[in-house]
Amino acid sequence: MPHSLPSSPKSVPKNGQNGITKFTNCRILRGNSLVNEDLWVDSVTGKIIPSQAAFYDDLILPDNVVNLGGRILSPGLIECQLNGAFGFNFSTLLEPAVYAKKIREVNRLLVTTGVTSYMPTITSQRSEIYKSALPHLGPSGGYQVAEDGAESVGAHVEGPFLNPTKNGIHNVNVLLQAESFEDLEVCYGASNIRSEDGYRPPAVKMITAAPELGQMTALIPELARRGIIYSIGHSEATYEEASAAVGAGATMITHLFNAMRPLHHRNPGIFGVLGIAESQPRPWFGIIADGEHLHPTTIKIAFNAHPDGFILVTDAMHLVGLPDGTYAWTNGDCTSGIVKKGPKLVLEGSDRIAGSSITLIECVNNFLNWTGASVPQALNATTSTPAAMLGLQGTKGCLEEGADADLVVFSENVNSNGRSELVIDEVWKFGTKVFSR
Amino acid sequence: MPLIIARPYVPNMRLIIRDDAETASSYVANYIIDRIRHFNPTPSHPFVLGLPTGSSPLGVYRILVEKYKAGLISFENVVTFNMDEYVGIPRDHPESYHSFMWKHFFSHVNVNPNNVHILNGNAPNLEAECVEYESKIKRAGGIDLFLGGIGEDGHIAFNEPGSSLASRTRVKTLAYDTILANSRFFGNNVDKVPKMALTVGVQTVLEAREVVIIILGARKSLALQKCIEQGVNHMWTLSSLQLHPHPMIVCDEDATLELQVKTVKYFKSIEKVAREQGFEQILPSSIRTGPVPASIPRTVIDEVQSPTILAPQPMTSRLLRATPATEYPVRSVSPDLVPDRMADRVGVPDLARRLTPQPEQQHQRLARVGA
Repeated sequence: MPHSLPSSPKSVPKNGQNGITKFTNCRILRGNSLVNEDLWVDSVTGKIIPSQAAFYDDLILPDNVVNLGGRILSPGLIECQLNGAFGFNFSTLLEPAVYAKKIREVNRLLVTTGVTSYMPTITSQRSEIYKSALPHLGPSGGYQVAEDGAESVGAHVEGPFLNPTKNGIHNVNVLLQAESFEDLEVCYGASNIRSEDGYRPPAVKMITAAPELGQMTALIPELARRGIIYSIGHSEATYEEASAAVGAGATMITHLFNAMRPLHHRNPGIFGVLGIAESQPRPWFGIIADGEHLHPTTIKIAFNAHPDGFILVTDAMHLVGLPDGTYAWTNGDCTSGIVKKGPKLVLEGSDRIAGSSITLIECVNNFLNWTGASVPQALNATTSTPAAMLGLQGTKGCLEEGADADLVVFSENVNSNGRSELVIDEVWKFGTKVFSR
Repeated sequence: MPLIIARPYVPNMRLIIRDDAETASSYVANYIIDRIRHFNPTPSHPFVLGLPTGSSPLGVYRILVEKYKAGLISFENVVTFNMDEYVGIPRDHPESYHSFMWKHFFSHVNVNPNNVHILNGNAPNLEAECVEYESKIKRAGGIDLFLGGIGEDGHIAFNEPGSSLASRTRVKTLAYDTILANSRFFGNNVDKVPKMALTVGVQTVLEAREVVIIILGARKSLALQKCIEQGVNHMWTLSSLQLHPHPMIVCDEDATLELQVKTVKYFKSIEKVAREQGFEQILPSSIRTGPVPASIPRTVIDEVQSPTILAPQPMTSRLLRATPATEYPVRSVSPDLVPDRMADRVGVPDLARRLTPQPEQQHQRLARVGA
């Protein structure tokens, strides 16, 4: 049986070609090492194909051989918390057609930063923004169109069921408490947290909420049943409350250490659930490695506590790539200003950090530089680990046969400290090159 | 204007000894590349290469891949036939010979998948698969160069001790020693090692127009000694190479440990003298360029007097006759003494029946038949 033939051809390459590209002379990410192997990808199926079966069964030779000259070939980066980019904030109320156009623009630009899959994130907002924006933010990779750029794997709603004392820069006036699942449906729109046909996933992939408020912990199993990830965040939860949430099915912690109680030796708080004290699985956790949110040593402690749960996120605002200055920002029921000074974002009139304006690859390089982690460890924190958290093992974040052919080619520069720094040379989406430096 | 002198060809065993495994592998790889380039293969006139698996040829494959990547050789018009494959493990099992060839050679070079032939150990009818394989080799015009390695017991392909020297492609039960030796590739679990394999036969190898064997390491030295210094013996199947008109063995110094010093010196001196005289131990040009396509008319010169050696006749069947092979051109500096026979002077009507140089034996045999 041919193993590599497409089941439903999306497009047929011209001139009788088969659309297969072979990457050779490259170091590819496999587990915790970079190995010298070839990789075959098929732009028709958009997948990484089993080369040996293609050769012996389908008698195929690749159309295109890409010699990477010893460079690194990694799965495309996965971003779990992105509030907006290139001037567009996902938490914006716009005409549907305009919103959709903006999203397409962001997707095409975002892919050039090495991010091939991401979770567009909406901060705490009034219900109408969720209801108008979320339909545009659901999983978008179904048609496997490489030219569309980065794909959404589902939206991340950060709020509004957050603890008002750990609001960060979220507007306290729009924060809510959930007593029943209906409260969630009323807030986000029932259709956005429900599968339309029992087969396609809902638009919302992840909800960040404080487990100690209302009946939130009791609602976690129903969310999990619907395929929605519950993430603990913006919370005053004690260690016991956090443990109860994990026991109920919480599998993620939103930006660990930020907007939660710090680790105290008599009450380890949310961080405590990484301690394997209970016989519970440890959740994954997001870490913002921008040099503002966390001290480098804190990042290293978190990594060493649970390397397999460590996910680098940017929590970037739409100001990424824009010049310094003060920018308007829709924040719940009012409009505030965010002051951008270099990579640092502060809420106008305060010293509160207002997200970041860092790219994911910069986080990877910070992590490499601060912790001395290996390149595979740093890349896993943005590829295989988030893919596992999202339940996308074998499809995203890996270079296994049958996975989506979302790839990044990195040059590795060694800086004066002897630490590696990765530079994005090329980005491939579904087996087609979409960016080249 | 310099005279162009035909380079002499001496049919004999070529034993090439190199200092270490790397230089021996390099010699073999370069030899194969030279052969392919001189052959100048085209889609209608491809070079047919027989290929082994195992540890011995690894260095050869590595260097061939390097040379391919450096643009020094193309495998576009090379047809390959592999020696053997296990029965009953999935084709893409990491220890299958399909996987071996893919991992070490085919994935790195431009061999056309349509030109690759490996026995299918999962064929519904294994016997038919073997018969078909032989006919595929024939359809490809025979093998131009069969590269091989050997086991410690001198086996070539899976033709283990006791295999018929007239054997052809067939299903073979593996010897317990081989299963034990291979268990290291299957988690040291003897139960997981395939017990059967498909393999080309000794005769299949001998029918190649040239056979090149690489032997590396002290472990193989006894086998090399048996094959070079002893007689043809089915317990050391490589020794059948002595029956081939164009065999070449390339080995490292370690593999010569069991050879006599004079054997080693002899073969080294042959190579040295040949090089000093300005010619390598080359093949006749008809072998080097392969059979000319039949469509091109050509003049056949005196085929009866100097028979072609393009396709060696089955040597073993000739052995079974009481007459030694006489059709290979024998060159010697001083003519050998040819004893005069009364029959030559008298003249006998049926000359064909009197070509044997040992009429006494024949008479004895005839007498036995008559008895």
